[in-house]
Amino acid sequence: METLVQTDQARPVFGNGLKANKLKATKFGGKLVSEYWESVFRAKEEGKKVVWYNGTYIPPFFHSHDLVWVHGEAWSAMLAARHKEIGAQGRSDQRGYDRELCSYARTHIGQMLIELDKVKSGHHAMAADDPRVETMLKLPAPDMIVNAYPYCSSGQQWDDITYRTFGKKIPMFTIQIPLLWGGRPDAGYMQGEEWEERSRYVAEQLFALTKFLEENTGRKYDYDRLGETMSFVKKAAELRLEAMDMCTVHPSPASFFDWIVSIAPVNFLPGDQNLVTYFEGVKAEIAERVKTGEGAVPKERHRLFFDGMMNWNKVGWLADKFAQVDACVVAGRYTHMSFWQEPQLIDLKDPILGMAQNYLICPNNHGAPIMIGEIEKVCDKFDIDGVVCHASRTCRGMTNAQFQIAGSAKKYGRQAMFFEGDVADESFYKDELLNVRLEAMVEAMDAKKRAA
Amino acid sequence: MRWQTDMNRPANGLKQGGINRNWRSGVGKLTDIDKIISSLAAVAEDPLGYARAWKDRTQGKVIGILPMNFPAELVRAAGALPLLIQEDDAAITYGRSLLFEFYCGYTRSLVDQAATGKFGGLDGLFLVDHCVALLGAVDAIRFELPDLPVYLAQYPASMDEPATPPMVRERLGGLWRKLEQVCETTITPEALRAAIAASNANRAMLRRIHDMRRAGQIALSGRQMQALVKSAMVMDAAEHGKALTALVALLEGQQAEPSNRVRLHLSGHFCHAPKPELLDMIESCGVTIVDDDLFTGTRFVATDIPEDGDPAEALARWYFDRNDNVPCSTRAQKSADWESYLAASIRRNGADGVIVLVAKFCEPHMLYYPELRKMFHANGIPHLLIETEHEGLPLEMVKTRVEALIEGIRQSGRTRETA
Ligand code: SF4
Ligand code: SF4
Repeated sequence: METLVQTDQARPVFGNGLKANKLKATKFGGKLVSEYWESVFRAKEEGKKVVWYNGTYIPPFFHSHDLVWVHGEAWSAMLAARHKEIGAQGRSDQRGYDRELCSYARTHIGQMLIELDKVKSGHHAMAADDPRVETMLKLPAPDMIVNAYPYCSSGQQWDDITYRTFGKKIPMFTIQIPLLWGGRPDAGYMQGEEWEERSRYVAEQLFALTKFLEENTGRKYDYDRLGETMSFVKKAAELRLEAMDMCTVHPSPASFFDWIVSIAPVNFLPGDQNLVTYFEGVKAEIAERVKTGEGAVPKERHRLFFDGMMNWNKVGWLADKFAQVDACVVAGRYTHMSFWQEPQLIDLKDPILGMAQNYLICPNNHGAPIMIGEIEKVCDKFDIDGVVCHASRTCRGMTNAQFQIAGSAKKYGRQAMFFEGDVADESFYKDELLNVRLEAMVEAMDAKKRAA
Repeated sequence: MRWQTDMNRPANGLKQGGINRNWRSGVGKLTDIDKIISSLAAVAEDPLGYARAWKDRTQGKVIGILPMNFPAELVRAAGALPLLIQEDDAAITYGRSLLFEFYCGYTRSLVDQAATGKFGGLDGLFLVDHCVALLGAVDAIRFELPDLPVYLAQYPASMDEPATPPMVRERLGGLWRKLEQVCETTITPEALRAAIAASNANRAMLRRIHDMRRAGQIALSGRQMQALVKSAMVMDAAEHGKALTALVALLEGQQAEPSNRVRLHLSGHFCHAPKPELLDMIESCGVTIVDDDLFTGTRFVATDIPEDGDPAEALARWYFDRNDNVPCSTRAQKSADWESYLAASIRRNGADGVIVLVAKFCEPHMLYYPELRKMFHANGIPHLLIETEHEGLPLEMVKTRVEALIEGIRQSGRTRETA
């Protein structure tokens, strides 16, 4: 296969030493992400108002109102993915934040403090080689803060800290996205009284968000524009799901890690033609691979499901790690159960209710019984042999229920394993433990297949 | 006049692990006070045992409730016993395969108690959640005990939004209906009004005891104060009220005495009790705990439920009032600051310093601690952070840190003589 590359000599040799066969089409996403951050950095020069937000994928509301938005989690993930998070985390340590605290929040708050330091002391107070200079030169301060964090209480409190750090002077709006606990007899995935009530509840708040944006910009909200933005988002989401569905074949033409790098477009990039173009490219490449039988992993023998938040410091590293034991991570909770997962709910003439519903079905916003039922459906669909749970040390939002997820996997005849790491703090990642456990899991899957 | 340091005197006359030998009281009173507190402490130490005995005696239902926002009065109005589940002392065993080791001790203890069969006497488990770790624990319990009715009412954590009060009301309605179903009864507004009145009366007595401690009028130890509040969390309200009535009458007779002990405020631990041994150790360093904002202290007793008007609406109001009164870092409220509350408390209670008790891995506390720290520095308030763990602490090592704090306070001349 043309894509096989020798193992980088700097990395310890593991397994067969092969590398993951990444999709090429995702490179366009890298360009879009860079352009997006550039536009964020230019915001003040261009006289645009800036919203800082955390939580679910609400940027279409900002985009349709000509605002610039900074997604705190995306910022932390981006810093971690580019290995630039250390300065920010150091600054938050200095302020007294414990390293066991959500590292997304710590990284974001640390960067915010660096920004404020700069305001107080001027850029020149920092040495030219200070890593903070490079990573944090131009992040514009917020004119508004919006929080729309499902499930995890830390998500709401993180923005409360942002609000306090800026002296309680920035207008802030919080959208409550209630948990779908599933306690009523008629409860199920997208069904029952609870689902109907919560959908309306969130939709009303989204409508109130548009009023908040009007008040703080002095401009009328253009709902037609929202429909137009959502037409691109909806199309992109459909293409993404169609492309994902093509990965039921063996070998899988794309892996979880390709979908991970494809999150930015559906999560926070501007809703325009670029999104559609991106997923058209991804889908076309996948279709081509299906035709030629080319897999995301050079020699796929086993198919895995990834549970948990991504370890953003290790995306490429982990993609190769699984490839090296001939295991393709085909699907994941984070990628396959979220991000405009149900685009058919969005009525472009009146998109708010459908948007609210998509926000509600964030992968961990269901009580465990319903969520685990949905995970099993994904595992069946993609013919999964084993479940890998990333026990992300500082993200309890995603580690909740992982023991039950692993238990359910075993009940349905799949292998299950855990590995330690974190969303944005590399120091929690334990490579050798992952190696040992992964090898053991692969052996078990081999033995099972031999026996069959 | 400043009093000489007397480091040889045991903290509040405390015997390690025992009850206070109240050095201010007359002999007769001492016995009666101790007797009452010991009986409440025994319940606080074994709440599940108390609940079993209550159930045998009354044939009533026992509803486990989780801290800290659940209105226990609704359970009482259903004729059942609300049992606020405490962290227990047992080592975590089966619980290790239900929650990771990077969860706080309280949540790990909860799932361990569920997995080791300790919730057998419960007829239901109800909660209004307060943090993401608790949600994880409850889902684990749902899987572990599939036959136990488990009901969650998630109140919005953001207190300022117009969408919050209607949601709280709606969730309360859900709780009401579910409790009626589990308890096989109808909850009447009259029964709820009576339950609210009983709780308020008990809270008022506990507040009175806290006031007396703040004023230096009584010298109950931290362990004893904790027993009074913890027992309130698990006992039948009438029974607890009777004990408190007798206790308050005895305590009212006590006189304030001058003390040169360092006066500290204990802060933090907002959903479960710090270990009493830790409180003993702190007091053994020449410290009097004059005030706190602990869940098993001021936070639990500070806020009454309004008794006029619609009792359901009163329960909803209580959720907001509590955070106005003693802000909690599990909630996000623009108009309330824990740090400002703490600064004001310290001005009021004349504490010489603060010990912050943070349960290891407590996410909301970790997020807000730097706000407290900023306030301590801005106001020159001596403080010490102690991270607590389910497995306990190396007390001797922690003691050197407490002693250093106390020494610093004494040398700075910050101590205030009280009378
Ligand atoms: S703990 Fe996880 S889910 Fe919660 S705010 Fe942090 S990253 Fe988000
Ligand atoms: S508030 Fe803190 S100590 Fe309490 S359950 Fe949550 S994480 Fe644990």
